[in-house]
Amino acid sequence: MSMGTPWTTKHRPKTLKDIAGNEKARDQFRTWLESWHKGPREKKAALLYGPAGTGKTVTVEAVAHDLGFDLIEVNASDHRNEASLNKIAGSAATERDLFGRNKIILLDEIDGINLREDQGAISAVIGMIAVTGSPIVMTANDIWNPRISSLRSRCLPIEFKRLGVRESVQYLEKLCQAEGIEADVSALRAIYDHNKGDMRSIINDLQTALAGKKKLTLNDLEWLGWRDRQEAIFNALGTIFSSRNVLKSVRAMDTVDMDYKMLYEWIYENAPLQLTDKTDLLHAIDSLARADIYFARINKSQAWRLLPYALDMMTGGVSTSRVRTKPSWTPMRFPQRIMKLSSTRGIREMRNTIGAKIGSSIHASVRTSVSDVLPYLRIIFESNSEMANGIADYLKLDDEMITFLRGQESKEKKSIPRSKKTVSKDRKPRRRKASSL
Amino acid sequence: MESTMWVEKYRPKTLGEMRNQTEIVQRLRRFAESKTMPHCLFAGPAGTGKTTAALCLAHDLFGERYLDAFLELNASDERGIEVIRTKVKDFARAATISDVPFKILVLDEADHMTKDAQHALRRTMERYTDTCRFILSCNYSGEIIEPIQSRCALFRFIPLKHQDVTDLLNELAIKEKLKLEASGVVALVEVAEGDLRKATNALQAAASMGNAITEESVCQVVGRTKPKEIAEMIDLALKGEFLKARDKLRSLLLEYGLSGPDIVRQIHSEILKMNMPERSKIVLVDAVGETDSRLTQGATEEIQLSALLAKLSSLPLEQG
Repeated sequence: MSMGTPWTTKHRPKTLKDIAGNEKARDQFRTWLESWHKGPREKKAALLYGPAGTGKTVTVEAVAHDLGFDLIEVNASDHRNEASLNKIAGSAATERDLFGRNKIILLDEIDGINLREDQGAISAVIGMIAVTGSPIVMTANDIWNPRISSLRSRCLPIEFKRLGVRESVQYLEKLCQAEGIEADVSALRAIYDHNKGDMRSIINDLQTALAGKKKLTLNDLEWLGWRDRQEAIFNALGTIFSSRNVLKSVRAMDTVDMDYKMLYEWIYENAPLQLTDKTDLLHAIDSLARADIYFARINKSQAWRLLPYALDMMTGGVSTSRVRTKPSWTPMRFPQRIMKLSSTRGIREMRNTIGAKIGSSIHASVRTSVSDVLPYLRIIFESNSEMANGIADYLKLDDEMITFLRGQESKEKKSIPRSKKTVSKDRKPRRRKASSL
Repeated sequence: MESTMWVEKYRPKTLGEMRNQTEIVQRLRRFAESKTMPHCLFAGPAGTGKTTAALCLAHDLFGERYLDAFLELNASDERGIEVIRTKVKDFARAATISDVPFKILVLDEADHMTKDAQHALRRTMERYTDTCRFILSCNYSGEIIEPIQSRCALFRFIPLKHQDVTDLLNELAIKEKLKLEASGVVALVEVAEGDLRKATNALQAAASMGNAITEESVCQVVGRTKPKEIAEMIDLALKGEFLKARDKLRSLLLEYGLSGPDIVRQIHSEILKMNMPERSKIVLVDAVGETDSRLTQGATEEIQLSALLAKLSSLPLEQG
């Protein structure tokens, strides 16, 4: 089978009986639409709402097909401003199209209307509902979205719910059969669990997991983990920062599939953002610092039995620090320390290379050379090229190292060619001097 | 003007040239004369002559080609005890070059080894004790495990006295034809805190800016080795801007390459000069001291310093 066609397109239900789940909503919609054959109804518009992937749009398409309506679709990717909607409204006012068929106007993802860009769009829709002779159907994820508040009372609301596990797995089994795929039910359930009843992502994940193979087992699903992990870490952090409960916070760690050191970095990064009261923050950072000491002791003496204390401090210690901070929602962010560590790797490697050169010449460690000697070398390299050249020869530094030592003081100007020019100018006498020795 | 590293140029070559740590030098000279020595543990702060003493002892024992019988390893550079063991083995097995039946292996910064690595080192020391003497150097002997300590003769190096540093700097200035003013010497001695390497490096850096060394030029050197970001970081913390202070801390550690203890020391000296109730200063000094001692235990620099910044951030702001 070609991987090219997305199964969400290839296996898109054409008729109502092919759709999985939400039977009640489908019937309600079908009944409403059928009644149009007897002329316009009291509610001339329907609003199908519910989470993504529950079959709203596909239901409209399938019912239109089954009942012989022509579907005029205006989705989010179209231009939905006042003018274009008014044009559609004009054609909607008549009951039948040129070929005498009934029409449905579908305004997909109505809650995605951008109020600034699609100016007047909502009032155009309201106007359209007033004059229409054809059924108007809208879909939305959230019926309580304020953007569409003025539309709510003018529509027949029909709720679509997340699909249940049984109907989803049954549907997937049928799909697999059609594709000639042998799939473990446990694997199909895992895909379902992972996507929380969003049929579109379920089918996408199924196709991705198979990647052209004809057999699906749980082992094929390991890659699904990452999306979950992200959510799991946010949930765990949420518990740690707001539960004020030691046991809950410690246990929150078990729900995250992450190295405790990495979780530590997440907590440490986000503590100042989450705990806005200064005393709360002080206590939280203190707890983290205490945990860090336990980690150091474990590292030094391999006393792993100390680990639980460290973990309690970094979770429960932080959790119980929250006393005065008021509840509010602040997004979690990725540990910046980790990012900075990788973005400054080049600088640090350069510094350590120079440190090693210094160390081997003056009988000191790289660490000592970097912290105790390098700062003085910088001054010398910035102030006195003759002395610097002598030292560069002595330590056998290359051009790049020399540039680094000269340019460090004004970090921001490091890449300005000026410093490079100065170096190459100074390099000449250095060479002469070296050869005359 | 000679262009090289003065710390190396003026390092004593023989025990006879060493003018400080006189009691230690006397004992080491007896080792050299009798051509016998135990394993040694050199403990003391930076720049007090530990490495120099080891080099001089080797020179006096083995003569000019002493480097053939002398290996220097750095515990903080050499990764893992395995590397050390292999290097020790190869070194100890090779024939000696003189009438001295052993070689010398110096293990610098031995206090940076984990306890496990130290225990492994202990066995290595025992195995090669006939052909190889170990000199371990460290800042704090307490960080060295008991079994190693009991196998070593302990030498405690103390910070150089102000007068000794003054004399050495003046001699060096004459040799380098510098105009070293009295105020310059005082400033250098104060900066050095008994660390001769620091004093020498600071003098050379000051000399790179001009032939006359004054209090002003020394202060300029000191100022340039301390990025202004440290003061800015403290300022931000005191204003309660913890997040911004933490960002500064990050760039000081990762971009400038300052060490945690460097930053701690500078926070310490800033606090004493700050305009705040005297009692608050003492509370903070205690917090700074606690931070520093945590660092010596191997805690993470950024985390511990962050905790200190949080403490500064939560201070009442009455001092303005």
